Amino acid sequence: MNHLYIHIPFCHRRCSYCDFNTYANLEHRIEAYVAALCAELHMLAEGAFPGGPLPTRAEQRPSPEADALPPTIFLGGGTPTMLSLDQLERVLTAASAIVPLERAEITSEANPGTVLGRDYLRGLRALGVNRLSMGVQSLHDSTLRVLGRIHSADEARRSYEEAREAGFDNINLDFIFGLPGQTQAQWEATLDTIIAWGVDHFSLYSLILEEGTPLYAQVTAGRIRLPEDDATAAMYEAAMERLGAAGYTHYEISNWARESVGPPGALFPERACAHNLAYWLNSDYLAAGAGAHGHRYPRRYHNILGVDDYIAAVGGGRLPCAEWITLTPGDLRAETMLMGLRLSAGVGEAHFAARCGLPLDAAYSDTLAELAAQGLIVRHQERVRLTPRGRMLGNQVFQRFV
Amino acid sequence: MTSQNYIRNICIIAHIDHGKTTLSDRLLEMTSTISQRERRDQLLDGMDLERERGITIKAKAVRMMYTAKDGHSYQINLIDTPGHVDFALEVSRSIAACDGALLVVDAAQGIEAQTLANLYLALEHDLAIIPVVNKIDLPGAHPEEVAEEIEKVIGIPAEEAIMASAKEGIGVPEILEAIVARIPPPRGNAQQPARALIFDSHYDPYKGVIAYVRVVDGTFTARDRVLFMGTAAHAETLELGVFRPAMTPLPALSTGEVGYIATGLKTVEECQVGDTITLAETPAEMPLPGYRPAKPMVFAGLYPVDSNAYPELRDALEKLKLNDAALSFTPESSAALGFGFRCGFLGLLHMEIVRERLEREYNLDLLITAPSVEYQVLRTDGEILTVSNPSEMPDLGQIAAIEEPVVLISVIAPSRYIGAIMELVTTRRGTFETMEYLDPTRVLLKYRMPLAEIVIDFFYDQLKSRTQGYASLDYTLAGYQEADLVKLDLLVNQAPVDALSLIVHRDFAYQRGRDLVERLRQLIPRQMFEVPIQAAIGSKVIARETVRAMRKDVLAKCYGGDITRKRKLLEKQKEGKKRMKMVGNVEIPQEAFMAILSLNEDARED
Repeated sequence: MNHLYIHIPFCHRRCSYCDFNTYANLEHRIEAYVAALCAELHMLAEGAFPGGPLPTRAEQRPSPEADALPPTIFLGGGTPTMLSLDQLERVLTAASAIVPLERAEITSEANPGTVLGRDYLRGLRALGVNRLSMGVQSLHDSTLRVLGRIHSADEARRSYEEAREAGFDNINLDFIFGLPGQTQAQWEATLDTIIAWGVDHFSLYSLILEEGTPLYAQVTAGRIRLPEDDATAAMYEAAMERLGAAGYTHYEISNWARESVGPPGALFPERACAHNLAYWLNSDYLAAGAGAHGHRYPRRYHNILGVDDYIAAVGGGRLPCAEWITLTPGDLRAETMLMGLRLSAGVGEAHFAARCGLPLDAAYSDTLAELAAQGLIVRHQERVRLTPRGRMLGNQVFQRFV
Repeated sequence: MTSQNYIRNICIIAHIDHGKTTLSDRLLEMTSTISQRERRDQLLDGMDLERERGITIKAKAVRMMYTAKDGHSYQINLIDTPGHVDFALEVSRSIAACDGALLVVDAAQGIEAQTLANLYLALEHDLAIIPVVNKIDLPGAHPEEVAEEIEKVIGIPAEEAIMASAKEGIGVPEILEAIVARIPPPRGNAQQPARALIFDSHYDPYKGVIAYVRVVDGTFTARDRVLFMGTAAHAETLELGVFRPAMTPLPALSTGEVGYIATGLKTVEECQVGDTITLAETPAEMPLPGYRPAKPMVFAGLYPVDSNAYPELRDALEKLKLNDAALSFTPESSAALGFGFRCGFLGLLHMEIVRERLEREYNLDLLITAPSVEYQVLRTDGEILTVSNPSEMPDLGQIAAIEEPVVLISVIAPSRYIGAIMELVTTRRGTFETMEYLDPTRVLLKYRMPLAEIVIDFFYDQLKSRTQGYASLDYTLAGYQEADLVKLDLLVNQAPVDALSLIVHRDFAYQRGRDLVERLRQLIPRQMFEVPIQAAIGSKVIARETVRAMRKDVLAKCYGGDITRKRKLLEKQKEGKKRMKMVGNVEIPQEAFMAILSLNEDARED
């Protein structure tokens, strides 16, 4: 398997907008969790797969675009940097039986408030982690407090610089726009500031108000007001404009990578996140850890959510899978489209045909013609991609495939 | 079989919430018709909807056997009556089937208009009245005053009123004894040709229409050939019997008895409330008085959101119609909505009930156009049209005059609300007729008002809200009168949407137009392009709003772990779209077609 996601469900504190599978105040379970995680990775490496033996290679339908990606491991969370270097080393060693570490893009998420100084960062780098993704979210301390973040803007900046000094040359920073009280001027100032930092990669997300989060409760109760849709649209446009002018390639709806000289005709910028590209190319990937989702067509699974339940399941010698489903060829086609269209490169006809086993037009010629007539997509050089308008109204396009 | 002398047929007259249902349940328990364990709350209200709304839509009749203190066993038939102003027609037949009535009055609230209207109906049919002052145990009760009020209104001495709390069982034994002692046995002649009054019916898929009857003369037995004197329908008594409270077959129903006759008929239209059943072999000479076919007052277009569901809607309406003689429907088509039906209802509540049943029981997604009454339009060429669909209104130049139905309304309320009522009625084009003090604090007000102002405009709710719930309302049709009415058209993205047209008085047209476009602006979601919304009379635009184009609608995040959830989100978004109607190239949600009603609901909350 080329791609592996590993979930670390621990946080110092839950952020007010977060609906991920993560828990605060469970630090005392980290050691047991790491042991369980290594055991799960071991089972997966031995070929175990939720729902029984893996489908044969013939059913996997590789695509040239997906096959060009390097192997990847992504440590997500939660906060993976709550693990000690020793614990992380054990996890990566176990993972290496699935994905060879040499040549691999190995990303770890990091909370800029928990990065433990230069030694820890150097150690992380030495373990083979070569990409860091830090959730900065905002440069305004008052907003960071509303979001429940444990760091200040200054600390985030310091963590970023320390990571650079520790040898990380591929760093992503996450920011959110459309935040409570955020103005256009504030956001544009933020963009100008972070562009000057020389970051390799940005994920800029329009705030998603997730049901069940503290922020959701506060907004629905009217205690906090979010900017209107039109205002966040303007923020998004400002991001595209300013990052574009500063030499960043907007390669996915919410992702930008610093332009660099890559091989001629490359579909994606060199600093694009290869692991996430695998998702958007609807590739197969394994996943380990509580609540993690894995996908190997025609099957998708997710693991048990709770930390204790997860540990207990693995302790019982079984895969900690909570549920798996069988995807239909129709699901595969739909997902290949709605994931692929997120990419600026769009969906290649050859990729679609390889992945789904039939030509793009055999599946969607009418839909694509209608969307093109509406000015939402364009077909060019055997690829389908969103127009700038289609990118603003992506859901109107994606809906047509579900 | 009970001798005619030991039969008592009664109903309960009460205002909504005054305790009719609770008292019914107590009577059933105390006569062991149902055990306490079997008892569900509000047993007589069968349908979910009725239960939710706390009202009774279909009258039912339960037979109880009661051994009185005189040692005789009496058959008491309790006929339940509907309680909302929309169903005033059904109530009169139920009352006609009885010989006596329990007048249940809330000890805190006193007599209300609805109660009074039904009470007068009961007195008209010579029913013996037993006043029951209920809820005497509740704080705020002033039972003596209420008993005196009853004496003042109908002349029954205050001492004869029974003080009760149905909830606590207080006074219920006294009520049972009073039924035996004060209510006369049924009149009627067992030797005459058989006649039975239909006071309700329901459709049963196995037995056909079940008629709820009071046998007035003679005897009916199973397998009789019968004739419906009003509709001239013929049928056979497949089964007859009584409700105890479940349907219990009997060999015969005799003079004075109340029960059911299974007719095998396929529609309730052939077996209408108020009609007389007689034996086909030996028919009675005269039908019983009081038959008139059910007449809808409010009309609205009903359309499936998904045009392919038209046959399902037709089937569903046909099925509902089996049980609902007051519901009418004829196919119509709308340029905006495609094929649907123009439906007639007794009132807005009836319309809501039908819509909810269609959506719930038949799983249909429906659009209802703005409700309308039936207008008489005199054209310049002398032809008279009946128009219940605003989009069928002729062009302004072809109209010589429009007449609208008017009603006489009676409102009873404490006198301190006279000003508020007067003000409301005036804004609804009502004109004052009479005012009468029922006692020093309570008045009966009568007005003449356009029917449209009452039935399609939540007048009843407004009246309630402006009088803290004290006022109550009854109305009777009082002919047609000319009015300065205009058709207000709504244009969405420059194209008139026929289903949004409505007929309004010229004086209110501008305000309505402005309110309506504003409301539609809120209800119509942003589309991928800008959508102007205009209100117009003829070719003259009187109001305009704009739904701005959608600027951004895209999931910010979608990674591997998200995909199942994000797909569901997209599916939900798509599903929401499906529930909208594509009119031209604009997606209009269901609620927009009811905008005129929600406008008034907003006003109601003011």
